[in-house]
Amino acid sequence: MKYRDLIIFAILLAIAIAFPWMGVKRYLIASALIMFCYATVVSQWNLVFGIAGIFSLAQVAIFAFGAYTTAVLGRYMDLTLWYAFPIAGLAGMVFSFFVGLACLRMRGIYVALLTLAISQVMFVLIQTDSACSPLNQRDNPATCVSFTGGAQGLGGFGSFGWRDVLGGRNWILGDYYTMLALLVVALIFTAAVTQSRIGLAFKALRDNEELARSRGVSVFKYQLIVFAASAFLTAMAGGFYAAHFGAVGSNLVAFPLLLFLISMLVVGGIGKAWGPLLGAFLLMAADEVFKEFSDWRNIGLGMIVLVFMIFLPEGVAGAIEAVSKRATRLWTALRRRSSA
Amino acid sequence: MAEPLLAIHNLHAGYEGQNVLKDVSLDVPEGALITLLGPNGHGKTTLLKCIAGLMKPSGGRIELAGRRIDGAEAERVVDLGVVLIPQGDMLFPEMSVYDNLKMGAYLPRVRKTFSEEVEKIYTILPRLKERTTQLARTLSGGERRMLAIGRGLLSGGRILMIDEPSLGLAPIVIDQIYEIITDLKASGRTILLVEENASRIIDLADRIHLLDTGQIVWAGGGEELQSNQQILETYLGG
Amino acid sequence: MNFFIQIIVSGLTFGAMYALAALGLALVWGAFNMLNMAHGIIMTLGAYYALLWAEIWGLPLFFAAPFAAICGGGFGVLVYFISAHWMLRQRNFEVTIIIATFGLGMAAEAGLLKFLREEFRTAPYSQPLSLGADSFLVGDVPVSYQRIVVWAVALVLIMLVGLFLTRTNAGRAIRATAQSRDAARLMGIPVKRVYVMVLALASGLAAISGIMLSSFKDVHPLMGGDPLLKAFIVIVLAGLGNITGALYAALLVGMVEATVKVLVADKYGFTAILVLVIAALIWRPAGLFGQRVVARQ
Repeated sequence: MKYRDLIIFAILLAIAIAFPWMGVKRYLIASALIMFCYATVVSQWNLVFGIAGIFSLAQVAIFAFGAYTTAVLGRYMDLTLWYAFPIAGLAGMVFSFFVGLACLRMRGIYVALLTLAISQVMFVLIQTDSACSPLNQRDNPATCVSFTGGAQGLGGFGSFGWRDVLGGRNWILGDYYTMLALLVVALIFTAAVTQSRIGLAFKALRDNEELARSRGVSVFKYQLIVFAASAFLTAMAGGFYAAHFGAVGSNLVAFPLLLFLISMLVVGGIGKAWGPLLGAFLLMAADEVFKEFSDWRNIGLGMIVLVFMIFLPEGVAGAIEAVSKRATRLWTALRRRSSA
Repeated sequence: MAEPLLAIHNLHAGYEGQNVLKDVSLDVPEGALITLLGPNGHGKTTLLKCIAGLMKPSGGRIELAGRRIDGAEAERVVDLGVVLIPQGDMLFPEMSVYDNLKMGAYLPRVRKTFSEEVEKIYTILPRLKERTTQLARTLSGGERRMLAIGRGLLSGGRILMIDEPSLGLAPIVIDQIYEIITDLKASGRTILLVEENASRIIDLADRIHLLDTGQIVWAGGGEELQSNQQILETYLGG
Repeated sequence: MNFFIQIIVSGLTFGAMYALAALGLALVWGAFNMLNMAHGIIMTLGAYYALLWAEIWGLPLFFAAPFAAICGGGFGVLVYFISAHWMLRQRNFEVTIIIATFGLGMAAEAGLLKFLREEFRTAPYSQPLSLGADSFLVGDVPVSYQRIVVWAVALVLIMLVGLFLTRTNAGRAIRATAQSRDAARLMGIPVKRVYVMVLALASGLAAISGIMLSSFKDVHPLMGGDPLLKAFIVIVLAGLGNITGALYAALLVGMVEATVKVLVADKYGFTAILVLVIAALIWRPAGLFGQRVVARQ
């Protein structure tokens, strides 16, 4: 089983590395790297929601927090973004730690509502931030923007810097491989956590909460660890996103992005190891195919989420698992019959 | 022999693949008091839940006066006349005693006669009358049991199922509860009673079924049970 | 002193609106542990229905509002049959229904944005906060009669819902289902019909709440999102399923929001509420009104 996963991982990685050299159009490379970014976020979300069982909707807020931290550090402190990323990751961790602390004693449903409210507050605060910030006055008083850029968004904080290294045409390859590296780290981290003591503790809690508790498995401690740890890579992904686009905006905390990411989680399969990757791939592909119908996008996404929750709550990964389990059972039954 | 009011044929049931009931068959004739005896966790409550429609059996048949009721929704089963007084009472804690009784008479067929019937309940269970406006969650254990019984009686019906009426009560209260059950039997009610404690029902029951690990291992009258030393020792600890 | 009156006036208005929205959410949660994320879109729809009816048929708002409530209730029934009805047996219903209705709500919202983009009204019923024939003075603060109507409608509706829940068979069936679902079924209460009824009632109230909202906010496809989150905060603050508590919490949230808006700045209203609810929950995880879980066993 684990062997099989490793082989699949190696094959996928090889394809991803070779992808830009397969004569694909440039915009597909760009789409793929955004997919890596979202897959990173969703894999960390899956860790929190699917593995640790905390129904947090703050993941998008943490992502945005990382992006904004990177942007602010790059713009106001003139920090090279490569230094800004880890700081953004740590800032995201601290942010998430406090969110987790607030949610710690609450039931699952309360956590969902509160994290949703936190995201909304972030959105409102950014959206309504319109007063000219003294930090921006030096540019041009007439076009002076607020600290976070408000509704217009914030730019001018630099990029990965691949343009200087790889030149005006190939810089996107730099972005591509950087994002891929982040995703690989995220997937390895997720797998490591799932196999670790912490992952086993959560599995025990899911299977038999009372027994696990009586053996001294402390939910709170582990939940807080996962909450904070998963935030690091999520916020980093936010930083990478900001670096790639060279701008951040309040759309990073708005509901449409939350809907898009939750669709990935749901379609892939909540709590399934391959779910985030599968979900991110399927939805980015669908987004690409249905580009002409983009004004139907959110209608379609909403309906997809609804239909999956009703008919396939375990997602595509869950469906594949169920089918392959049935196939194996059938196969062994057939073999037994033929040998008998 | 006349067809029994309630007949259970080869019933199987379980939770998530674990078999709790295995091939249970049981008849409840009109006007009889039939008991199901056995230690806790051996499927007695599961059987009553299956009959009441709170759980779906995985095999077998349940018939009320010749009509299949297995797999029917609980709200349908009670309308057909099978009333369950559940274990742990399952009262409506934030409603008054009176409103709890009123919920018992929710079905249209009993709703109209509620105001007369509730007076009868008050004569059988006078304690309830003293507490009509009190919230159910503030009652004592014995009062709660009485309210559950009163509420069940108000549902009318043709057969009354009572799940462990003595559970968790003081001996003196158990005596009171069993007096009420004896009176119900005398008035001709058909009753299916689940008990853990043999001594209370041995003289009362028309027929006793012994349920052990999901199977009926013995059935007979009270006297037969009393004279069957082996059964008594094996299953009921002497 | 004027500040004080201003806070009370707008606090009561917010409170009345949140109370109606939260009442519906709390009832639905109580009946079958469903947190309806599509509740906000029903508020939006209510405002639109009233607006369109009032404009198309030339009805006065007073007559258009009940129609809008009925349409909102109908949409609630629709929500039940396209989401919850198929999911009742899921093991993780509490969580999956949130995601499902979130998807449904987003789809409906996007649909409204697509098809009703042109139908945008800037606070269609709002009245100037200056002294005129439509208002009177309390201290130095002008209070419009419209506010009085909003409060009165909310109060009357809440009282009617209270009477319905305690005095009618249908209402008692709703409470019984909330307090013990299996026991309710044993009494012969068709619980699925109760679920539909509760969603219809809650959605009707949401529609009215949406109309109230349009008395001082723009009618816009996204208008329901913000009050929905506040209504959620209200029921979390009260303790999920605590219906009377939700009414007090709605008033509290309305007052806190008004205070911050009047004394600090408009945009910090939501932040203040959030800080309040987090603080309250750390201090009292089961809600402000004690450990007693009112609607559940």
